[in-house]
Amino acid sequence: MNVIGYGIGVLGAGLGIGLAAFGATSAMARQPEVQGRLFTVFILASAFAEALALIGFVVTLIA
Amino acid sequence: MNPLDKLSEEMDHLVSSLSSQPVVGDLNAGVTQYSFFLAIGVILLLILIFAFKNAQQKQGIAPKGFFVNGMEYLVEFVRDDLCKALIGDEWRVHFPFIASVFFFILINNIVGVIPGCKPGTGTIGVTAAVALVSFCYFIYWGVKKHGVFGYIKSLAPQGVVFPMNALVWVIEVFSTFLRLVTLAVRLFCNLFAGHVVMGTFAILTSLFMEPLLQAVSAQSALTAGASVFWIILLIVIYAVELLVAAIQAYVFTLLSAVYVQLAVADEH
Repeated sequence: MNVIGYGIGVLGAGLGIGLAAFGATSAMARQPEVQGRLFTVFILASAFAEALALIGFVVTLIA
Repeated sequence: MNPLDKLSEEMDHLVSSLSSQPVVGDLNAGVTQYSFFLAIGVILLLILIFAFKNAQQKQGIAPKGFFVNGMEYLVEFVRDDLCKALIGDEWRVHFPFIASVFFFILINNIVGVIPGCKPGTGTIGVTAAVALVSFCYFIYWGVKKHGVFGYIKSLAPQGVVFPMNALVWVIEVFSTFLRLVTLAVRLFCNLFAGHVVMGTFAILTSLFMEPLLQAVSAQSALTAGASVFWIILLIVIYAVELLVAAIQAYVFTLLSAVYVQLAVADEH
């Protein structure tokens, strides 16, 4: 049951990181010169989305 | 025998070893494994900083060598990307705080990924304490800039009609306190989950290797072959964890800087 709950939680974070990667790649394709700055923003956005999935993971283990 | 049978038992053991265990004394008055490695991290940081200061004074203006240049790169990164870019003209006042938070979290995260060590920031107590310091800091600067009443009022956006204004203010106050929780929980969960995942792959490697050590046969050699796969995954996860250690320190510091900037921002 825990594992199923975590799987559902991951769906949201996966979508979030996917959207961030989509935005970053299409912006890089349009403007390759801002690649460096975009990469930082992308990593940051993924870290925020990933944190939510990890909260689900940790709550699964602790509770 | 299926090597996965013992997995859940080993996982329970792993999770309990990652929760706070007293090394000296008990949980109320004693040293847990996390506070021990926290102390190691802080001592290491102090040694690094004083060695850097010494080396820099000896060399004069032009830095030479990997160590001095590397430290200077890190400090300049914090100064330019976190302080100047976000806080603006007043960066000089906030730089000591921002840099302290960044280096404290970074050194603890990096001590944590060394095999056998625990991260000082891998327990909710430490991350909540750091988050509380950051929270008090930006509240203090907001109050200093706008006054107590002015800061409370500045949480509500300007140019919104009256009833909506009050509602947005309530939401803003709530989200300000939520910052405290999210800062602490984000860092803790990243470190904890990362170590659980690394531990799981290490356990899987050893579980699949065990049959070969007990009896050599074609069957056990096949399972041992699978453990090669697990160890490759372990190395990949280890590299990811190194990245996460740096990114989480960056994210925590970045958010602290953003909150400071929001608190001291002029009314517009």
